[in-house]
Amino acid sequence: MLEIKNLYKKYRNSERFSVRDLSLELKPGEIFGFLGQNGAGKSTTIKCLTGIYPFTSGTIKICGYDIQKDPINAKMNMGYVPDNHSVYEKLTGREYVNFLADIYKVSKREREARFDKYVAQFKLGHAVDTQIKSYSHGMKQKISIIGALIHNPKLWVLDEPMTGLDHQSMIEILKRMYDHCQEGNTVFFSSHNLDLVSKVCDRVTIIKDGIQQCTIDLHVKGNKETLESTFVKITATEQDLINRTTDDIFGIGR
Amino acid sequence: MRQKLAGAVEDIMGRKKHPVLTLLKLEFVNKFGTVSLKDGKSVFKSLFYIIGAGALMVALYYVSIIFFNMFERAGILYEALVLVYGVVFAFLCITGVSSTSKVLYYKGDNEILMRFPIKPIHMFVSKTLFLILTQLGLVMVVLVPLLVGYAAVTEVGISYYVRIPISILFCVLIPFFIANVFAIPGTHLANKIKNKHGLIIILFTIVVSLFFAIYMLLFDSMVQFLKDTEFSVFSPEVVKIIKDVCKYLIPIKYLADMMVLNELYIAYPVLINLTALTLIGTILVIVKLYQKTLLGNIEAEGSAFKKVTKNKVRPVFLSLMNKEFLEIFRSVNYSFQYFVLACAMPLMVFFCNRITLALAKNQVGEQITLGITLLVMLIFTTIICSFSATSISREGNNVYHIKIIPVSPLTQLAAKFTMYFIVSFVANVVCIAVIIFTKQLEVKQAFGAFGVVQACSIALTLFSMRRDIVKPYFNLSGEGELVANNVNTTMSVGIGLLIALVIGVGAMFIGYLVAVETALYYSLGVAGGLLILSFLTYFTRLKHRFDYIGT
Repeated sequence: MLEIKNLYKKYRNSERFSVRDLSLELKPGEIFGFLGQNGAGKSTTIKCLTGIYPFTSGTIKICGYDIQKDPINAKMNMGYVPDNHSVYEKLTGREYVNFLADIYKVSKREREARFDKYVAQFKLGHAVDTQIKSYSHGMKQKISIIGALIHNPKLWVLDEPMTGLDHQSMIEILKRMYDHCQEGNTVFFSSHNLDLVSKVCDRVTIIKDGIQQCTIDLHVKGNKETLESTFVKITATEQDLINRTTDDIFGIGR
Repeated sequence: MRQKLAGAVEDIMGRKKHPVLTLLKLEFVNKFGTVSLKDGKSVFKSLFYIIGAGALMVALYYVSIIFFNMFERAGILYEALVLVYGVVFAFLCITGVSSTSKVLYYKGDNEILMRFPIKPIHMFVSKTLFLILTQLGLVMVVLVPLLVGYAAVTEVGISYYVRIPISILFCVLIPFFIANVFAIPGTHLANKIKNKHGLIIILFTIVVSLFFAIYMLLFDSMVQFLKDTEFSVFSPEVVKIIKDVCKYLIPIKYLADMMVLNELYIAYPVLINLTALTLIGTILVIVKLYQKTLLGNIEAEGSAFKKVTKNKVRPVFLSLMNKEFLEIFRSVNYSFQYFVLACAMPLMVFFCNRITLALAKNQVGEQITLGITLLVMLIFTTIICSFSATSISREGNNVYHIKIIPVSPLTQLAAKFTMYFIVSFVANVVCIAVIIFTKQLEVKQAFGAFGVVQACSIALTLFSMRRDIVKPYFNLSGEGELVANNVNTTMSVGIGLLIALVIGVGAMFIGYLVAVETALYYSLGVAGGLLILSFLTYFTRLKHRFDYIGT
């Protein structure tokens, strides 16, 4: 579903690589988590695979289509929800979703069925014909999600989707993610919430300083329970280790 | 902004400074920025404002002398003074309602300040003082040179100059208090129509066209006067009308009476009582309605209209154009910058052309009429086309959409270009139709001019779009909109004006020295060359540039 091979990304006017030699392969029907601290390279990787950023070297294929050589077909199979929940706020919710449905060439029958289903699932029926600028943070996130799903993409990419959402909204989005995978599609999302990731994901990759550290299968016994400690161990800085040693000496935090 | 607010609140809560003074300082910093003698840029900016204001005052002084001489020739100098006060007074009342609404009720910091232990009366007083002080500065810059110009045309005593600050004070306070009384209903009205976008475009177009027409007619009169200073611009009937109007222009005529020492026993009491009355009206309105309106407006600002539509299917290209259109149409700011000016363009071209052609024909001859028309049309076309210099910048945080959607960059940009093309094409067609209908140019020359202007519109649009693709500026504010011009717009206008000069002035010279037909071929040649250059520039490494947008 998604194949990333030896991805390198260096920003213009930068000496260092933001992503170095990252390789991933996602299977149909799985929820894949992408973990890392702030500035680790998660958003950069996601923006490379969605076509927002060009990348220095490597290949990214979505459903077999190379994002650089055949971007149209690759993007046709992908839906993206950004971390900043930006949508065209002067449009109404319905106009925004219809705009994306037109872009992804969704038929009238399919878009009506999916639109009604998602609007009901996310409880946006009362707001869908109002301009998006009057929506709350959570409502904007939901309309962004509906827009990303209207064409039923095989790969659904979300960048920090739970930021700023209330518990109920999170549940709704998680259910949608789960249902999407049950239909044979794949979800790829980045998050800081280890607890959430451990409960929801099938596999996770941890990235640090642009380098992929490890990929963990959470269905293997014991991996879910040790995810947090594995993450902390991998992503701890020297200062964290020094602080931890000091804490151990003085018995702080026990 | 948040840091400045935080600092202000800390000062108030820590009782380091009086709240009104702290908030007043915040208003000035927000509007004008901080001035630091250590920062060269800040010093330069301040000097620029001071020199600019000085230059404006000097220009106004000389214009006022021409203006008052014109009226003095017709024997209605006093009436000219009344009209000057009338225009300034009306301008201050109208802009006063707008600026009072904005500062008191629409400013973004209102919502933040309401959360802190700041009394509404302190907020109101600081914002009111800010408005009065800025109005005072503006009125001084405009009125002082006009009044000094009046003194240069007729004999006045020393006491005339002493009365200038008094009249300025009345001119600031009375319109300000009137504006405060009308600001609240004005705010409610604005909230009611803010989502009626079509109506807003029509109203703005009428207002812009009206102001431009009045300005050009006045300019025309002054030009006529300059040609022959012995000639009175005003017929006896017009003089009578002006005298009658000024007699009943109360209370404005009392400001002029005060200056020329006419019926002072009426002028001063009326002005003082009017000031007191409007002040009382302001206090009553504010005490009863300020906080309520403020709270209501904070709620209303975020509100949006409801439009029930069906799930409509459109082809990709049309859907892209539709989205682009709605993003502009539903923004008061963008609508004004683009649609309103495009609608008003034919009228503006007509008036501008009429005056410049009359001048040119009399001074030089018919041979330069084509060049003049091209110059005028290309200047206005430049203004319209410069909007495309923000075609990518206006995407703001939504720029990721143009990268993730399965539509080629060429198609996406073509959709934007097509929308700009349609608007400029229609505006140019209407302009040429008006020019042909009013016989400002011969039909063949008019069609030739249309070809030149349309080719330049396309070229300028492509140059501008290319510039914004290479280096967009995502500096959005307010409701996620660009509210200030960026470097790309400035560059687009600069290139457009240069093209206008090269073609327009070139056509004038060639028309005068050789023949009008040669001038037309010259213009078409230059426009054609620009069109080819624009296409080459636009398409060179376009995909590569597009790929780097937002990175």
